[in-house]
Amino acid sequence: MLRKNPTLRHILGRAAWYFVTFLVAVTVNFFLPRLGDANPIDAILAKTNAGDSAGAREKEEAYLRQFGLAEVDAQGKVIRTADGKPVRTGLGKQFVSYLGLTLQGDLGTSFLQFPKPVSEIIKDALPWTLCLQLPTIIFGWLVGNLLGALAAYKRGVFDRIIYPLALLVSAVPAFCVGILMVYYFGIKLEWFPAVGGYDAGTTPALSSDFLSSAAYYYVMPFLSIFMIVVGGQSIGMRSMVIYELGTDYVKYAKLLGIKENKILLYTFRNAMLPQLTGLALALGAMVGGALITEIIFSYPGLGMAILTAIQGNDYPVITGCTLLITVCVLVANFSVDILVGLLDPRIRAAQAAESN
Amino acid sequence: MTDALKFQAKNISRVFGHGKKSVTAVDNVTFEIRDREIISLVGQSGCGKTVLAKMLLRLETPTSGELLFNGKPITATGDPRNHWRQVQAVFQDPFSCFNQFFTIRSQLKSSFRLFETKPSPGEIEERVDQALLAVNIKPKEVEGKYPFELSGGQMQRMLLARIFILKPQVLIADEPTSMVDACSRASILDYLLKLKEELSMTIVFVTHDIGLAYYISDSLYIMHKGKMVDRGAPDDVIKHPTSDVTKQLLEDIPDVHRQWIARGTPVHAAE
Amino acid sequence: MTVSAPVRPLEQAASGPTPKPAKSNAVLEVEDLRVHYVTRFGHKIQAVDGVSFSLKQGEILGIAGESGCGKTTLVSGCMGLYIPPLFHTSGDVRIDGKSIVGMTLEQNRKEVLGQKIAMIPQGALNSLNPTRKIKDMAADMILSHDESADKKSINDRLRERFTRIGLDADHVLNSYPVELPAGTKQRCVIGISTLLNPKVVVADEPTSALDVSTQKAVIKLLFELMDQEIISSMLFITHELPLLRHVSSSIAVMYAGEFVEYGTTEQVIFEGRQPYSRALMGSMLSAEPGQKSRKPVAIEGAPPKLDKPIPGCRFAERCPVAQPDCRTTEQVLRIVAGRQVRCKYADTEVVEQVGGGL
Ligand SMILES: Nc1ncnc2c1ncn2[C@@H]1O[C@H](COP(=O)(O)OP(=O)(O)OP(=O)(O)O)[C@@H](O)[C@H]1O
Ligand SMILES: Nc1ncnc2c1ncn2[C@@H]1O[C@H](COP(=O)(O)OP(=O)(O)OP(=O)(O)O)[C@@H](O)[C@H]1O
Ligand SMILES: [Mg+2]
Ligand SMILES: [Mg+2]
Repeated sequence: MLRKNPTLRHILGRAAWYFVTFLVAVTVNFFLPRLGDANPIDAILAKTNAGDSAGAREKEEAYLRQFGLAEVDAQGKVIRTADGKPVRTGLGKQFVSYLGLTLQGDLGTSFLQFPKPVSEIIKDALPWTLCLQLPTIIFGWLVGNLLGALAAYKRGVFDRIIYPLALLVSAVPAFCVGILMVYYFGIKLEWFPAVGGYDAGTTPALSSDFLSSAAYYYVMPFLSIFMIVVGGQSIGMRSMVIYELGTDYVKYAKLLGIKENKILLYTFRNAMLPQLTGLALALGAMVGGALITEIIFSYPGLGMAILTAIQGNDYPVITGCTLLITVCVLVANFSVDILVGLLDPRIRAAQAAESN
Repeated sequence: MTDALKFQAKNISRVFGHGKKSVTAVDNVTFEIRDREIISLVGQSGCGKTVLAKMLLRLETPTSGELLFNGKPITATGDPRNHWRQVQAVFQDPFSCFNQFFTIRSQLKSSFRLFETKPSPGEIEERVDQALLAVNIKPKEVEGKYPFELSGGQMQRMLLARIFILKPQVLIADEPTSMVDACSRASILDYLLKLKEELSMTIVFVTHDIGLAYYISDSLYIMHKGKMVDRGAPDDVIKHPTSDVTKQLLEDIPDVHRQWIARGTPVHAAE
Repeated sequence: MTVSAPVRPLEQAASGPTPKPAKSNAVLEVEDLRVHYVTRFGHKIQAVDGVSFSLKQGEILGIAGESGCGKTTLVSGCMGLYIPPLFHTSGDVRIDGKSIVGMTLEQNRKEVLGQKIAMIPQGALNSLNPTRKIKDMAADMILSHDESADKKSINDRLRERFTRIGLDADHVLNSYPVELPAGTKQRCVIGISTLLNPKVVVADEPTSALDVSTQKAVIKLLFELMDQEIISSMLFITHELPLLRHVSSSIAVMYAGEFVEYGTTEQVIFEGRQPYSRALMGSMLSAEPGQKSRKPVAIEGAPPKLDKPIPGCRFAERCPVAQPDCRTTEQVLRIVAGRQVRCKYADTEVVEQVGGGL
């Protein structure tokens, strides 16, 4: 069947590639923090040992088990030498146990918020990031493409207003827009709260109080990302549509007397293909891209979680988050690969030829 | 001295891809190109002409066989730039050979960069003028002009002006006339002949039109599906074609004196 | 029309129509058509300047001329496609007796394009939407003219027509353009263009991107379509006069937006009476044995710019036999030796020094 279906063969081939890339990323994620002179885990252990309280002992035990740093017995207790020192395992063995845990989705325990598992920290922060970014990117992408296509098709006055505006917006760095908004609308005019994700008085729950305060806090971060996405997408779409409108097939369709709106559909569809790639990549980079906006607005998402972790040398959280970012980017790239192949016969033909 | 060999190809092949899906673009071809002659590679679309021409330019490597240039293996010159000082090319689409953002004159001047020793700025200007005159374009006409401001025929002549500057030993012309109109075609052929006469250049002319090839060349090579199916002096090939491919090619050119397509009288015109 | 019909002998190829505009059974009539472009800088370029001809049922008119002489522009004018920067200056175009120049673009699209007059474009290889199957683009074409057509009938129609033009209909209709070789794509374009049995087909250099063998196959197909009465008449545009010798019954040679000679194929190719058309013929070459000594002669120089009126004969600058008064006296089309010619010296021996046929 593989022989007969070049598309499927291409997809499987790519999937294998992405899996290998993922493994490489995981490996790097493991070895990188352990390459430095001061092994972060040892440093943390030294700190906990200094206290020598019962709690510290328990913490040490957990770390040693968690990272496979020490040999454990059948009951999962750390084996210790006579003077109470744990029996350390080699780096190779550590790596194997880390790999096993990671593939099961166990990202370890936070240093700072012990004994909170990293996965839980991510679970708390991720919805904020997703709620902020997902609608913003998708909505911004739609609006941007619509404006770009209109500007290209209508030209004239419409184009002369939209195009320079879009250029301006997308040329300003993201953090500038954010900072300016915080300053003017948050601090000077006090239209919107300058920082945070919800009122200090409320707690995250499905109450109307909380939701309305979250919506209020949502406006500025949303707008700051939305504007940039709209600007960038509309510029790209505009030039794609202008290009498509000048192609031979559009001229021919006109000569055949094919209806104007059908021809528009042709051009929009064909111009949309590269834009879809852009969307998928933007969604993949979403988790990582959240950093700056969230930091500026002190928004309680993943970006803030990473910032806190970096400030506190919370390695398990940092590696957990980078791994998540890596996976998102890989998945996005993979879906772009598959998507454009499915949607564009030209690329499908090239892919089939390539995987022969 | 005209018997000196420029190129010698012994059983060269070029295969793309591997396994079942492989394409043999050039299939076990043996030929010789003598000094100061114009040879033509003729054949239908996809028969491997361009691939063969690219091998002579060292833009493709044969997958098997031996290709000699001036009696030595073609790679003996080391850096391909050494090869390109001696073997140059003009292509089908002149617009894609020039950068749209620089004036034509500046691009002609920059072709001096290929030389090992660059002449003085004054000499460069002078030689560019000479080259332009050689292709019958007054230097003033193209002063400050960009590629898109010229017609296809004029651009093709610019490519030839570049050849007049570089003065290579061999020129590979890959369908130089297929994008220009019939009148400019005659002048392009004229300049090719002039290059041969005045600069003793060896020319490899690639075309699908056996009529053009017949007119311009000293030997004809007919290709079909990667193989050489007919070869020889133009008059021999045209008068006594040995392969069906040649016969077909001859039959397919519209010639004013011969029945081309048999056709019944159209219904409407009959009354 | 039966396939076994007698082959038209060479001598009869000249038995085309007389070039005088004939009112009877003319499908396409063009009367003193003038069309101009307006450039970005506001200059007016008179790309077609007073062209008249008429095309009868079953006739193929060839239009020849150098690059930039206005062939494609003339065709746009004949189709009524006045999309800026192209504008109609004056004159009339009638298809089946009905004028199309005053129409709005939408009216033109509905009633004329594809239905009465259809185009087989220059560079047909990129003319199909790369992301649409052949059958979908063809269906769009039918639906744009006949909204009530149902899917089934469209499908049947497409299969019937594509089989008729010698294609494996099931395979081709379900393919995307990239999956088809150049020759097949060209056939598809011809198939789609002629779906609605247009009165006039305009072929704008339909073969210039093809090799000689494919070119022959394409011309054969066009002939078959004419014999089967799918196409009734054709405007064939090319710069290859030898090709027109076999394709058209009459030829108009165009220069700088005007017809300079307009007569039967035989007249223009073998006994041209106008220096430009003779020079054009002289720049052609041929593969016949013994012809190797005949040198094609290029026409020196470039065609004039059309942004301002040119006094006198437009070809005078490049004409090898230009006389002193050529540059000053306006040339008009007149009948010499049975065809229309635009040259003051057409009836003298002066023109015979130029070019010479093959
Ligand atoms: N880089 C490549 N990879 C795979 N196949 C190739 C490549 N280049 C050429 N081919 C194949 O080799 C064959 C010969 O190609 P080539 O370009 O030499 O044809 P050609 O005779 O120059 O045709 P044309 O007249 O259309 O230019 C074709 O079947 C083509 O598909
Ligand atoms: N969009 C345009 N704006 C201004 N001038 C134009 C435009 N398109 C064409 N022209 C001019 O109109 C003239 C006729 O062009 P046209 O394309 O009709 O020539 P053609 O005979 O079809 O040439 P070719 O053989 O190269 O297709 C040329 O001088 C050209 O410069
Ligand atoms: Mg080629
Ligand atoms: Mg044209």
